[in-house]
Amino acid sequence: MAEIFDRLVIRILLAAFVCLMIYLYRYAHVIFYPSVKRQVLKKIHPAENPADTLHLFSRLVGISIIFSSITFNESSGFFLSLFHFAVWGTIAIVLYLLSLFIIESIVFYNFDYTDEILKRKNMSYAFISFCHAIVIAYLTKTVMMEAENSLVILLVLWLFMLVIVGFSVKYFTFISKLTFNRLLIQKNLSLCFSYGGFSLGAGFIIASCFDQEHYDITIYCIQVLLKTVLSLIIFPLFKKGLVKIFPVYLGDERGEVGQIDTDMQSLGYGFYEGCIFISAAILTTMIVNRIQFGTIYPFF
Amino acid sequence: MYKFFLYTILIILYLGLAKVLSPSEHGVQYLQNAGGFSKIIKGNQSTVILIDTHATGFLIKTYYQKFRVISGYENVEELIVRTSKEFAKKNLNHIGLSLYRKSDELEEFLPLPPGSLYIGNREFGEWKINKKGQTVWKFNKVFKNFPKYLGWGKFKPDMNFYQQMRSSISLNHPFYGPHKEFGPGGKITRRNFPHFFKEERMKKLDMKTLLIEYFKENF
Repeated sequence: MAEIFDRLVIRILLAAFVCLMIYLYRYAHVIFYPSVKRQVLKKIHPAENPADTLHLFSRLVGISIIFSSITFNESSGFFLSLFHFAVWGTIAIVLYLLSLFIIESIVFYNFDYTDEILKRKNMSYAFISFCHAIVIAYLTKTVMMEAENSLVILLVLWLFMLVIVGFSVKYFTFISKLTFNRLLIQKNLSLCFSYGGFSLGAGFIIASCFDQEHYDITIYCIQVLLKTVLSLIIFPLFKKGLVKIFPVYLGDERGEVGQIDTDMQSLGYGFYEGCIFISAAILTTMIVNRIQFGTIYPFF
Repeated sequence: MYKFFLYTILIILYLGLAKVLSPSEHGVQYLQNAGGFSKIIKGNQSTVILIDTHATGFLIKTYYQKFRVISGYENVEELIVRTSKEFAKKNLNHIGLSLYRKSDELEEFLPLPPGSLYIGNREFGEWKINKKGQTVWKFNKVFKNFPKYLGWGKFKPDMNFYQQMRSSISLNHPFYGPHKEFGPGGKITRRNFPHFFKEERMKKLDMKTLLIEYFKENF
């Protein structure tokens, strides 16, 4: 009984420590978003600016996803496991915020956080940012798990992941009918659902490319690159196939005579594209990762 | 058109990268035909015995063959190579036979029983008369393990075997032994290369049996 109680106490203490790390993260967030200093460090009013709330709390979800990959090894001592969590947690926070900053600089190069979120309360911007936060967190978690507590490997894989994500976000303009910049200025929600589906799908694909056994970092990076290129070949096949199986009518003619609300029609298209992107991405990961060709060796 | 062009470039890029970087491309040599043995087999007094063959792939098959390379004065080694379809099909009936022999820069490609290179060569052994009065080939003590490596088991070639083999060589006909003891149908080959002749590898399953086995294994 004493041992069980001791373990419960340890769990409670560790939970408190994780909360402390998230508290530290709150301050780290301000480094990259100094304009939100007032909102973040004082009491938050979600009702005042839902876009800002979504933007801020998406980071919280993201950091929670990353923290879930760090393990406590209590057998090596309570304080040592706390120290391990503090070190890797800090590294995770830095890498995560840096990744978000870089990716958002690429995607929102025409937009400013203060203008879009704080002044215009652009929900489309906030939702896209939310998707970025989740995807980057998921990928950082994957990379951290693959690095297996090696800081050098983590840095190499993180940089590699960032390059692939950087290229992948540019792929959206090739495969979507929606114009990113124009619709984002218009706070168009169809764009955010379409882009959300795309970015989550891209996240699934990239994470699955990184999720493989590795003995040698060079060969591992080559395998990841090969899988990424293969995904780029397979993904359009599924996208085309799904569009052929579920053809949509954009309904321009009906929209003109007022039978369908144009905004809803546009929103519907956003849902449609987003779902197609996610489905195609998940199916792509299956084709790229789940086919076992075997080797000649069981036979010989 | 632009997208199609990009897609084609991607496919070419993938195929190129995969070919250059694929682990299967490293270490496994390609054998177009028997002439390719000259480049692969370096040792002198060498004989190359086909011990296994396998094809992978669905629409486009890749053929692999496994050889046992026995060199007179070097270690015995096993060699896996990728081969052309023609070469693989041609040699399906040559399991357990020597497909290549090299002796003092002289090369032979006729399928013959393993060890044909050494029979009659006084460097490796001598003809002896056994208790039954037959003249049989016996390897020198240094090469006492050769019958095992060659897959002979208890077989001892006699003068009749040797003469028939020489006659086949002069006619350029593959030789499977006086009573066809060697090759896929030969009892000596079947006994000494059991891996290739395993029951589960030999049996051909029809769709019904395959489905029954699948349901037994999975449900």
